[in-house]
Amino acid sequence: MIEVFSSPFMQKAFLVGILVSLLTGIISAFVVLRKMSFIGVGISHAAFGGVAIGFFTGINPLITAIIYSIMVAIGIESTGRRGRISEDTSIGIFYAVSMALGIALISLSAAYNIDLFGYLFGNILAITETEIYLTLFLSVAVAGVILMFLKEFFLITYNEELARVSGIRVKLLNTLFLVALSVTIVISIRIVGIILVSALLVIPGATARLFARNLLAMIAVSCISGAVSVVAGLLLSYQYNVAPGAAIVLTAAGIFFLSLLLKKRDWL
Amino acid sequence: MSTAIAIENLSISVKGKEILKNINFSLEAGRFLGIVGPNGGGKTTLVKIILGILKPSSGRVRVFGESPESLLTGDPVFGYLPQHQNIDPNFPATSLDVVLMGRYKKAGFLKWPGKKDRAKAMECLATMGVDSLSDIPYSNLSGGQQQRISIARALAGEPRILVLDEPSTGIDVVGQEDFYHLLKGLQKKMNLTILMVSHDIGTVTSYVDEISCLNINLYYHGNPLGALDEKVLKSLYGKSVDLLLHSDVCDKCERLRQE
Repeated sequence: MIEVFSSPFMQKAFLVGILVSLLTGIISAFVVLRKMSFIGVGISHAAFGGVAIGFFTGINPLITAIIYSIMVAIGIESTGRRGRISEDTSIGIFYAVSMALGIALISLSAAYNIDLFGYLFGNILAITETEIYLTLFLSVAVAGVILMFLKEFFLITYNEELARVSGIRVKLLNTLFLVALSVTIVISIRIVGIILVSALLVIPGATARLFARNLLAMIAVSCISGAVSVVAGLLLSYQYNVAPGAAIVLTAAGIFFLSLLLKKRDWL
Repeated sequence: MSTAIAIENLSISVKGKEILKNINFSLEAGRFLGIVGPNGGGKTTLVKIILGILKPSSGRVRVFGESPESLLTGDPVFGYLPQHQNIDPNFPATSLDVVLMGRYKKAGFLKWPGKKDRAKAMECLATMGVDSLSDIPYSNLSGGQQQRISIARALAGEPRILVLDEPSTGIDVVGQEDFYHLLKGLQKKMNLTILMVSHDIGTVTSYVDEISCLNINLYYHGNPLGALDEKVLKSLYGKSVDLLLHSDVCDKCERLRQE
């Protein structure tokens, strides 16, 4: 078991995994409190369309996926806000269309040797040097922006109208949060894949919600439970030769249900 | 005395539907105004326009002589209590955390509330008689306690006008009398202007200085006793007014009128 820590590709996986779990930990607390998990699912599936655009055009798929996801996120939010169709209808349309676009583009692409499976189910062990630096840069940038406006996001989460009366530019910050959410989703795709990424956006926050006395504590618990899930998940994946993305999500779910049980029995 | 709120020819339509039509009234500083009327009568819309978070289709609103939007930045003018059901009762925060939110604007960008803000927050909790609950998670409190914490939060920004949207929801009837009494005390003690939205015309009339009866049009504005006139009530609530007049709540109005 010791050699797991000495192999360079596992070291990279741990580094990136922990980094991303800290970022999703912060985002997850807000996703849970603001009941945005379905929009998270929608954006992550829509990102598939963005990845396919990258394959089709030859641009780095991470970059096309980020741009495309941000556009979809803002599209979902603005159609939902105009009120003609409800937000969940809007999500349902956007994500199915994006997936269809992705499948169409990939079948049109000559390059069929692309790592499609890696994008769908995650492939943290095959992460490249460039992707590590990109992930590092984006994680720090996104976390930095959220932490800078933490007070404002707290108030918006508590009550949007109250935030507006307090002079906070709610619309602008909501858009900023959607951008942060989209970027987080895309960089998490390398870890757990498009299909499972929403788990990282929901489960750590849900676990934290069970215990946290206040929002700051909730963010901390969410980050810790996320990081523990990634580390334990990677170890399990190494030991039992299970896909890492699945192992991470199952570990996170295990922690959640254990917490729920402990909380119900009042042991914590 | 200065004018706190002045509204001239205010109308608003949303998606072609008239929500408020040609509203005119003004309120002197330090007065307690009750805004009553049926659900869907535009009470909350009016409040949001006064707060500057909703733009009217036409007409003019001035708060201490300035436009509400211009007041959103700068020192807080309003302490606002949104409708209770719009706040997550399980929001993860202690009572003190919630009250400190009222100090965020004063603390400024990138700065967190400090010692002085904490002292002010504790003072507001004490004013509302709930300082012993400062360390208790908000979710563990009763509806009435949560409401007091929320008002402490609204007061923490040291506002000149307190705006309450249906503050008595979630409080039992006995608690409501105490609650209105407390508000009356705040008005005198802190020289606050208070704007309170309520659907409970009967109880409100005994506490407020002025009343506005709103159902798209402003049917009445003035002395609370005048609002209990049958004609006003009929235009406000339509046919259901009979029910209202014979309910317990209005027995109290009757008593009040005879006093």
